[in-house]
Amino acid sequence: MTEQLLVVEGLVKHFGGVRAVDGVDFHADEQEIVSVIGPNGAGKTTLFNVVTGFYQADSGTIEFDKFPLTGLKPNRITALGIARTFQQIRLFPNLTVLENAMVGQHARTRSGPFGAILRPPWTVREEREITERAREVLGFFGDNLLPYEDMMAFELSYADRRRLEIARAMATHPKLLLLDEPTAGMNPVEKHGLVSLIGRLRDERGYTVILIEHDMPVVKNVSDRVVALDHGQEIAQGTYDEVSNNEQVIEAYLGKKKAVESA
Amino acid sequence: MAVPATVQRETAPTETSSWLNRSLFTTGAIGGLVVVYLVAVGMVESFQSLNVLTDVLSLGRAMIIISFLVVGYLASRRLQRLGHEAEGPRLAGGIVAGAVAGGVSALVLLFVNLIGVEHVRRMFQSFTVNLVDNVLSFGQGVAFGAIAMVVGGAVLGLAGAGLALLPDRLRRATLTGLGTAIVVSLANTFIVAVFRNLESNFGLDIPLGWLYTGTGLAYSGLVVMLAAGFAVSWWRTRTPPEPEATRVEAMSGERSLLGLVRGRPAKVVGWLALLALLVLMPLIVGQFLSQVINTVGIYVLLGLGLNIVVGFAGLLDLGYVAFFAVGAYATAILTSSASFLGGPFNFWVALPLVVLIAVFSGILIGAPVLRLRGDYLAIVTLGFGEIARVFIASIWLQDYLGGAQGILRIPGPPLFGVNLRDPTNLYYIILAFCLIAAFVAWRLKDSRVGRAWAAMREDETVAEAMGISIINYKLLAFAIGAGVGCLGGAFFAIQVGSVFPNSMDLLVSINALSVIVLGGMGSIPGVVLGAFGLVGLPELLREFEEFRLLIYGAVLVALMILKPEGLLPEVRRRRELHERELEEEQYEGRVGEGAEPVLRAEASEDEEKK
Repeated sequence: MTEQLLVVEGLVKHFGGVRAVDGVDFHADEQEIVSVIGPNGAGKTTLFNVVTGFYQADSGTIEFDKFPLTGLKPNRITALGIARTFQQIRLFPNLTVLENAMVGQHARTRSGPFGAILRPPWTVREEREITERAREVLGFFGDNLLPYEDMMAFELSYADRRRLEIARAMATHPKLLLLDEPTAGMNPVEKHGLVSLIGRLRDERGYTVILIEHDMPVVKNVSDRVVALDHGQEIAQGTYDEVSNNEQVIEAYLGKKKAVESA
Repeated sequence: MAVPATVQRETAPTETSSWLNRSLFTTGAIGGLVVVYLVAVGMVESFQSLNVLTDVLSLGRAMIIISFLVVGYLASRRLQRLGHEAEGPRLAGGIVAGAVAGGVSALVLLFVNLIGVEHVRRMFQSFTVNLVDNVLSFGQGVAFGAIAMVVGGAVLGLAGAGLALLPDRLRRATLTGLGTAIVVSLANTFIVAVFRNLESNFGLDIPLGWLYTGTGLAYSGLVVMLAAGFAVSWWRTRTPPEPEATRVEAMSGERSLLGLVRGRPAKVVGWLALLALLVLMPLIVGQFLSQVINTVGIYVLLGLGLNIVVGFAGLLDLGYVAFFAVGAYATAILTSSASFLGGPFNFWVALPLVVLIAVFSGILIGAPVLRLRGDYLAIVTLGFGEIARVFIASIWLQDYLGGAQGILRIPGPPLFGVNLRDPTNLYYIILAFCLIAAFVAWRLKDSRVGRAWAAMREDETVAEAMGISIINYKLLAFAIGAGVGCLGGAFFAIQVGSVFPNSMDLLVSINALSVIVLGGMGSIPGVVLGAFGLVGLPELLREFEEFRLLIYGAVLVALMILKPEGLLPEVRRRRELHERELEEEQYEGRVGEGAEPVLRAEASEDEEKK
């Protein structure tokens, strides 16, 4: 259980003069739920983008399952078992709900153009399995997605789009799931639903989950551990109570001190 | 209907305005100017020789009549949108707008007469004495002509307004009937030719005297065609369409035995009829039209290939002619006795090599543009298309590619001693390859590869995050697109028997792209229909002589306005383009239920689902 799944050491990423991520050490254990908090511009999303290969790190190392990720392209990293969602929802809007989940399995399947044209039995079987597994991940969200599998993704409601994005990430069969502000734009009821959903992702699926979150009640309820970033550096980590009472964290949030305490 | 509902929301408060308002005059004036334009470019006089109804109505006058009808129709619709639902004002509005349109035309007619036709002619060559005195004034003097314009405009405006008042189904049927009659009358040379072929090839002697006399319809033909168009339209709209219900049923997988039996026979008969038509096509349409259809087939191949690149993978390639050129030139070099190789292979041996060369060239062109997206990709590929042409024409490579002289003497494919150069025979080979290409495209589209392309088209970054190798799938799209498109080039080389650099110009790329846009991006049947519309239609418009491209352009513009998603769009494209209407409907639905429209919209929709 205490095996370290993701280990980030001395990670630096700067854009021109701005050091978005400035020497972050970070780790996530297997089946752990880690929240990354911090004010806007603290480098949280940049951290995600570097881990998933969208940005190349300027220095530092990232190891996933003891395997160095440095220099790998996003599609290779997905194949290794890291999936993510995006801060601004980025589905494939003109594919159906089911197709979105089917695309997620790309890295786990094989058949190429010749298989597609000639349709030998193994391709037919693989295609059937893709469909079944896509339905299975959609089914994870109860009646929210499965009944709408033939709708275009853009036709879904906002909260369901967020759910579908998670479903699509689940379809890649990850070990580690990175959620970038999964509750943004949701109402309290939906947020509550999401907290229990993240718990289920760990308990039923065995995922390790790292999420960026601004909503403190959500962070409190969901996290095993909280990491606070500011100006690209880690300023605190530990349980929710430890971090929320940390001087530096309160300072970083400044005017939001009250919100943190009342939570 | 959804559209008027949304429009009414904007304009309903102006209900107090009188029915006699400025919109009628604007509509009328624009209609009048259209008539003046048709006359001034010479269409009306030129088309006097084409008869819709022999000795009664020429196409030239029919165009003026249709213009006035449209004015009345539009004026009436406009009044309805402004909140005048009653019949009286709407009919009166049609009369006013029609009279205004007639008035504008009449004024121009009088003005031309005042200045003198011979003076006007110096600038507007199409104004002739015959046009002014006979065509527009019926030989009764210009004053009579002017009055006839105004009165005729008013009457036709009234008729157009009456058309707008008819129930939807009745109106559609009436218009279909009129349209059928006009199209059949104009297509008379083709229809006569087809029946002559039926007679000589199948011994079917079907008399056509009842349909045509001279160059237009006979009365009996007019009545039959009106009735036929009306009946077909009436029959097709017989039950209110229920696409939602049938779709849900089809998807739930509940296929009862009864459904199977009921659904299949009509389909089977339809497919058999299509197959028979495809097989017998050259015998039915004859030599010349077979040639046209072969050209259509070449563009079907180009369209199917480009559709993989643009429609499936979303890579806007404006230099597709490069692959056409590769196909044509590779075929020429490998088979022609005039090439530097001396024609070592026959077509069938050369074809796999041609495809291989094209696939390789696809990768070659694809590799440098991998990092480019959208507009930049379009510009760079446009450049590649031009490079291909310049390359072929260059003196440097003249010894190998023939330079400006091209490569001649490309033999037809040998097949058991049958002369495949003959268009009626070559047709079958092209048809076979079109079917293969369509099959390949169809299979690819609905597969893991097709989904990866679609994901890439929608959002390249996210597609990569889903584990899709952007590099591999872009190259794959270029390679397969080139492999299919080069077949078009190969058959072009065979059909013409020679290849020249100037056949490989930008227009080929533009036409291929237009084929898939017209048919509906990403849709395979759309490519076929688009190729017929874009390549076949200009041939059918030959009768219109110098106005051919004008009419053709007008048809394309009208089509893109009325059906922006193409003729036979994919379901998803149609939904995408009508997204806003859908959202408006949902919005209105929610307002109707009393939910707070903006802030709680998402939440309420979400709760509804639960």
